[in-house]
Amino acid sequence: MKTIITVFRKELKDSLRDRRTVITMVILPLLMFPVLIGLTSRFVTSYEEQAQEKTLTIGLSEGVGAEGFSAGLEDADNLSVITGLSLDAATEMVIADSLDAYLLFHEEFARQVEELGQGEVTIYSKQTEERAIEAGRIFDLLDEYEVELRELRFTGLGIDPDAYHVISISTENLATGKEQLAEMVGGILPYMFILFCFLGCMYPAIDLAAGEKERGTLETLLTSPVIRTRILIGKFGVVVLTGISSATISLIGLYLGVRYVSAIPAAFIDMIMTILEPGSIVLLLTLLLPLTIFFASLQLTISFFAKSYKEAQSMIGPLYPVIIVPAFLGMMPGMKLTAATALVPILNVSLATKSIIAGQSDPGIMVLVYISLIVYASIGLFFCGKTFGRESAIFR
Amino acid sequence: MIEIRNLSKTFKLSRKRRKEEGASGTDGFVKAVDNVSFQCRPGRVFTLLGPNGAGKTTILRMIATLMKPTSGTIEVDGFDTLQSPREVRAKIGFLTGSTNLYARLTPNEVIKYYADLHGMEPSRFRQRKEELFELLDMNSFADRRIGKLSSGMKQKVSIVRTIIHDPAVVIFDEPTTGLDVITSRSIINLIRRCTSDGRTVIFSTHIMSEVSMLSDDLAILHEGRLLYCDTWRSFREGMVETSLEEEFIRTLKGDKS
Repeated sequence: MKTIITVFRKELKDSLRDRRTVITMVILPLLMFPVLIGLTSRFVTSYEEQAQEKTLTIGLSEGVGAEGFSAGLEDADNLSVITGLSLDAATEMVIADSLDAYLLFHEEFARQVEELGQGEVTIYSKQTEERAIEAGRIFDLLDEYEVELRELRFTGLGIDPDAYHVISISTENLATGKEQLAEMVGGILPYMFILFCFLGCMYPAIDLAAGEKERGTLETLLTSPVIRTRILIGKFGVVVLTGISSATISLIGLYLGVRYVSAIPAAFIDMIMTILEPGSIVLLLTLLLPLTIFFASLQLTISFFAKSYKEAQSMIGPLYPVIIVPAFLGMMPGMKLTAATALVPILNVSLATKSIIAGQSDPGIMVLVYISLIVYASIGLFFCGKTFGRESAIFR
Repeated sequence: MIEIRNLSKTFKLSRKRRKEEGASGTDGFVKAVDNVSFQCRPGRVFTLLGPNGAGKTTILRMIATLMKPTSGTIEVDGFDTLQSPREVRAKIGFLTGSTNLYARLTPNEVIKYYADLHGMEPSRFRQRKEELFELLDMNSFADRRIGKLSSGMKQKVSIVRTIIHDPAVVIFDEPTTGLDVITSRSIINLIRRCTSDGRTVIFSTHIMSEVSMLSDDLAILHEGRLLYCDTWRSFREGMVETSLEEEFIRTLKGDKS
């Protein structure tokens, strides 16, 4: 045990003095969530504000309907109206972006309304995702005009306008805050935790194995009277510690992000805080620990086999998609934690994390997840030990 | 004392090498060391001389228990390398020319690390470290990161790392490769000092001047086989050519014919 601690302490000190390790283990996970949350909320807020405050230029066709509509727009803010436009001219203007929308009131509009029918209006605009808020503003204006005409129609018929609503519909969302959160962010969070576990392991694993080989220090280390397994455990401990620390620090980053980044809705903050409860954190970390052991053993095995730091990097690089695909699959809506998915490494952690966030984890399935993770970690460890013991790998 | 008997080491060729050498009929294996026997005695420098690929490093790695012999035995101070590898490693110090150090640690930290791995008592470690640091004038940079030291300073750290635990056997694998004259001289002095302390020293080289400067006993290796093994004095007295280099080439040619 004493030699394991000696190796562990030395490797930890050495790793913490490596700038790349500190960046991937501490700085990146600590800043990722605050920066991501800050940028997203700032971008969304400013986009919404801009879309609401933008002066909309709308064109109207000729006719009584358009005139009636135009009369109601006199007091509207941030709105510029061009009346009496022909369809051809307006279409060109919309395409050239000098008009946001053109409202063509059917030539029979007045008659249709008068005869208790429906007046037809066609909106010509560029209907893209980024113009959704602008489109909503135009619909709101038309809605107001419709209400005005309806009230006139009902009054003319001697009917109370309020009698129009036969059913009053209201909704109550019974999903808990955690469930709503799981739906919203439950996919992306496990993905980030898995990624940080992997990245946190990477540089120490390469440095403590391939780096030592390349420097020639491994050869002298192996001539000391220490059982090889103990050297391996010492190194392994540091790689696992940096991986799990990276994920833990990302949790701290998440906390700091929601706590101190402005412009986040209070309800959202409350929901995020529920996953930062001690119980949820402990469950998350117990899931991430065997996964990190699996990652550490995988990366150390490759790194002990590689001839140099560079070769190890180029061999570990292709693992990214292998990690990302199952982690990404876990983000897909409808993907659930079942007895089958509980056996797929990485995907199982992604889905189990989602269910923990939602507060819906099934104990039986969770046990299956833990068992499969422990099995994968053991297989990884076995191969790591084998590679470290093989002189053909050490002196490749 | 190192006792080597009928030592052989066979490597399996990589797929690429197997393809290249397919026609020469190596059956996918290459014999790096072929039935080699010799003895290194305490207080003497045993030199392994040979061109690149002669099998020098492989023999030294087998002595240091880094590799296992395919056949034959090695005993270091009475301990068999296969039966008691930990006891063997406790007896040896190992220094190679390609060895580097942990650039982010200080000399103090590196030396302490190796002393701890050798299970040295704290008081014995302090005394030995003070002695060696004083001897090699290392106190002025003992707490500076190794990455910021000159190559001469680094070599001093390597020397102390090799002998901090007071090994009975010291193995030097081409220890002066790539070093400047002054740094090489510090290694030569260390080797001399080791023998005067009564340690067994085995070192490999392909530099003739080092052979004549240091050797008590000499073994010439070529393609894994031992071509010559006797005292340096006998070799010198039996020389046909005027220079050591010419004599060495003559020995290798004799092997080929």
